[in-house]
Amino acid sequence: MLKANRKLGIIFFPAFDWAISPTHPERQERLLYTQDQLREEGIFDIEGVGEYKPDVAAEEDVERVHFCFPEVSAVATRSHLISAGGAMKAGDLVMTGERECAFAMVRPPGHHAMKVVHGSRGFCNINIEAVMIEHIREKYGHKRVAIVDTDCHHGDGTQDVYWHDPDTLFISIHQDGRTLYPGSGFPNELGGPNARGRTLNIPLPPNTSDEGFLMAIERVVLPILEDFKPDLVINSAGQDNHFTDPITNMNFSAQGYARLSEMIHPDIAVLEGGYSIQGALPYVNLGLCLSMAGVDYSHIREPNYNPEQIRQDKRTGEYIEELCRQLPALYFNPPPLKPGGDPRLGVISGDKYLRNRQIYYDTDGISETQQESVHLCKKCRGLRKVETRADSGPLCLGVEVPPDACPDCRARGYQLVEEAQLKGSNYRYVQFINRLDKEYLRFGF
Amino acid sequence: MLLGIDVGGTHTDGVAVDTTAGAEVVASCKVPTRHDDLLFSVTGALEDLLGKVDRAKVRQLNLSTTLSTNAIVQGKTEDVGVIVSSGPGIDPHSFMICRDYHVIDGSIDHRGNEVRALSSRQLAEAVDACRGHGVRVFAAVSKFSTRNPRHENMIRRTVCQGREGGGCEHADFVTLGHRLGAALNFPRRVATAYYNCAVWRIYNEFATAVEKSLAAMGLGHVRVNMLKADGGTMPLPQSRSLPVQSIFSGPAASVMGIIALTDIFHDSIILDIGGTTTDIAVFADGAPLIEREGIHIGSHPTSVSALKVLSIGVGGDSAVTVSGGEVRVGPNRLGPPVCLGGERMALTDALNVTGGCAVGDVAASRRAVEELAGNSGLDAGDLARTAVDAAAKTIFQATRELVEEINSKPVYTIHELVEDKRVVPKKIYLMGGPAEAMKMPIFQRFQLSTEVPAHFGVANAIGAALTRTTWELELFADTQRHVLFIPSLSYRENVPSGYDLKDAKNDAVNQLIMHLDSMGVPLAAEDAQITHASSFNMVEGMDQVGRNIRVKCQVRPGVVATLGGR
Ligand SMILES: [Zn+2]
Ligand SMILES: [Zn+2]
Repeated sequence: MLKANRKLGIIFFPAFDWAISPTHPERQERLLYTQDQLREEGIFDIEGVGEYKPDVAAEEDVERVHFCFPEVSAVATRSHLISAGGAMKAGDLVMTGERECAFAMVRPPGHHAMKVVHGSRGFCNINIEAVMIEHIREKYGHKRVAIVDTDCHHGDGTQDVYWHDPDTLFISIHQDGRTLYPGSGFPNELGGPNARGRTLNIPLPPNTSDEGFLMAIERVVLPILEDFKPDLVINSAGQDNHFTDPITNMNFSAQGYARLSEMIHPDIAVLEGGYSIQGALPYVNLGLCLSMAGVDYSHIREPNYNPEQIRQDKRTGEYIEELCRQLPALYFNPPPLKPGGDPRLGVISGDKYLRNRQIYYDTDGISETQQESVHLCKKCRGLRKVETRADSGPLCLGVEVPPDACPDCRARGYQLVEEAQLKGSNYRYVQFINRLDKEYLRFGF
Repeated sequence: MLLGIDVGGTHTDGVAVDTTAGAEVVASCKVPTRHDDLLFSVTGALEDLLGKVDRAKVRQLNLSTTLSTNAIVQGKTEDVGVIVSSGPGIDPHSFMICRDYHVIDGSIDHRGNEVRALSSRQLAEAVDACRGHGVRVFAAVSKFSTRNPRHENMIRRTVCQGREGGGCEHADFVTLGHRLGAALNFPRRVATAYYNCAVWRIYNEFATAVEKSLAAMGLGHVRVNMLKADGGTMPLPQSRSLPVQSIFSGPAASVMGIIALTDIFHDSIILDIGGTTTDIAVFADGAPLIEREGIHIGSHPTSVSALKVLSIGVGGDSAVTVSGGEVRVGPNRLGPPVCLGGERMALTDALNVTGGCAVGDVAASRRAVEELAGNSGLDAGDLARTAVDAAAKTIFQATRELVEEINSKPVYTIHELVEDKRVVPKKIYLMGGPAEAMKMPIFQRFQLSTEVPAHFGVANAIGAALTRTTWELELFADTQRHVLFIPSLSYRENVPSGYDLKDAKNDAVNQLIMHLDSMGVPLAAEDAQITHASSFNMVEGMDQVGRNIRVKCQVRPGVVATLGGR
């Protein structure tokens, strides 16, 4: 009988009753054939591979991460809470040592959900990786975490959640934002002033094939992971880089995904996008499971796989090689924020970092106007304050006291929240995240 | 009159149950099992019963035997040619189960589309190689054959050199993987098909011998059913092509016996204490639990479904040993107890001394216990009590571990998945020869209400007699491909684009009723239970192109009558 070299836990939550709309890529059918393939392969009979039920994320698990307006129940359904709970279960399996690694094969996905949530963007409502990571940190103590996002779309939500966190390394490898939603994820997006270089983007040109992906992993991602020395490596395992994906333009294969996973050796993988539900997902998911469990995956092959047909051209290869030469420096020697730079990436104004943005929620058709400020503090990563409005809706306020907050920043946080509740305040909804004291409050007027 | 015979490890138990008004046990017997001649054990029990009842009134014989299990355990199986096509995925060589195992290029995907045709050249070579080894039985298994059996059918045709139907000069039997059940699990399908072939000949010879014996006894008119491990039966003629289903049926007979004998409705523990082993079964809300995926045979997981039963090596014949001051019972049987002519002190001897029972030569038991006690520097009474308590303790610990294991996973009973269920046993039912004698020691260990039902010594045979015929089928429909397929019946039909879940449920129930009818088993529509039904819209681009429908339907295990006028 087959035996896993690494004890793997699989949390399978296909949300067979949840869809954005009947013909939307994010629909009931999405993981049906993956389930069939995994069962037919007998993967749960491999010694050392176990299947687990997802937990359900509580409101507090979401409020630890997100500013949800007007409230959590308005932006997340039960399916979202179970999907996040599936990721949390993966975290618990690994942290308790019951499993050496875990794969949350869950939907709906989460990596486009930002710090502030007014609704769904890029098919995502709540950031299931962030909910998991912060659950881990609160329950098992603070951890250095590296997230490698291998979805074809830039993981702009996860990037936003961790923009100011020096203990979370976020690397997104994706199709160049000039050619694909959400249109971001460029090398100059490097994180806030206290976490410069902890965000790194690797935009790859359309038609990149296995060769290009694996080169970027080997030359950019691995050396940085080695330097960062994370306690946990998380793979946001989107599968829409596949050559058959209907909404993207890349040429990655199931073999490539399995090899990539083998290289970054994640403790936890969380499924993100991937919409070639028959031609890719069954094979990619199988590849990831076998690779994580340390079982031979060399016999996995998509029905219409033809490496010659999808091989990247020479120019693409040269372009990626050049990227690989330049990108590591952005982590090892990040340039400071320049005055007069792009306000969407933030500017320094006095003792504050300010960022003004318009955020579009494509799935729900919401336009958010947001101003974020972070107090620049020498003793901690600083108090985070967000003022936000969805369309012409009421103004909302989010205040976050970071886990390493100094007494001044903590006091400032309480003061902000108190003032916001005074009569005549401009804010209709206020949410307070105090990671230091594990206090999560919301007020509505 | 219904007869039930359960061939166990030590004894063969038989009963005759009169069902003219309720159900009443009118005769029972217990004869020693002869492992080298199971037919002798069966006919021995039959003759005993027929001496007590009117043979003209006997309508049915339900039989549970250890034949297939023993053949596998003792390695008395036949060489099998296993020919598989697997397509992409886990290396199919990982599932090599025997010498004549051949992997043929060819691939069918999860929708049932043929991605790559089967290599006829490789297939011909594989069949030749098997023939060169004198192989006469074959297992044909392809990945996703339960979606599309094309490759398995082609393997069969090649093995039989193109002949359809019965005539096949080059092979005596071919198992087609999809006929074994609809579950998706290629490695289990391989192992199940292999074992089905490996015991096919020995099983069929036995079936023929049983039929002959019955005819010779004037019981040619009697319907014969074989027990399955899932708590149901299958008619003997149908069982000939599914012999693997007869494996591990003994524990199921005991469990069904409890259903026939008691008003069980709590979370409960069933302990069947036999000669060599104790079988532990668990009921949730009065329904027996099942092994969801199928049992392991040796180290191989299979798709043979079964009631969840744990066997441990403690029984009336289990040897009592003392080492380092510690008294142990089992797991070995070193012959019968001394009271029944054995040479080594066994649990039954201890029970004879504590006064729990009076089996055979009680004085001989006392001498044996005194001898062992003397050798170990113990008091004879203490030794007997300690041995009985050690047996109860071993059973208690195994039961506790079993319940813990059950509660760590979703709980499946014969009826359904019970969501968020924690099994907390409230009652114990004891059966088997030493049941009455072990009642108090078991009660003291478990501290739970303990009941020994009437006929406890032959409850297994009663269960066998009253168990009804079960069948399960799964229907797949893919309206984009316009195909409906019921693997276990090899039934394919074209369906229109408008075919929906309601149609599929109707078809599944009708096919189940028709199939049982063809086996001579009448079934009312309300007894066909749908255990799973789902329908997925399949979308390509922005268009719905069809529905992917799955319906599972079963006659759930049960007894045709209960005893005691209930
Ligand atoms: Zn994506
Ligand atoms: Zn501070």
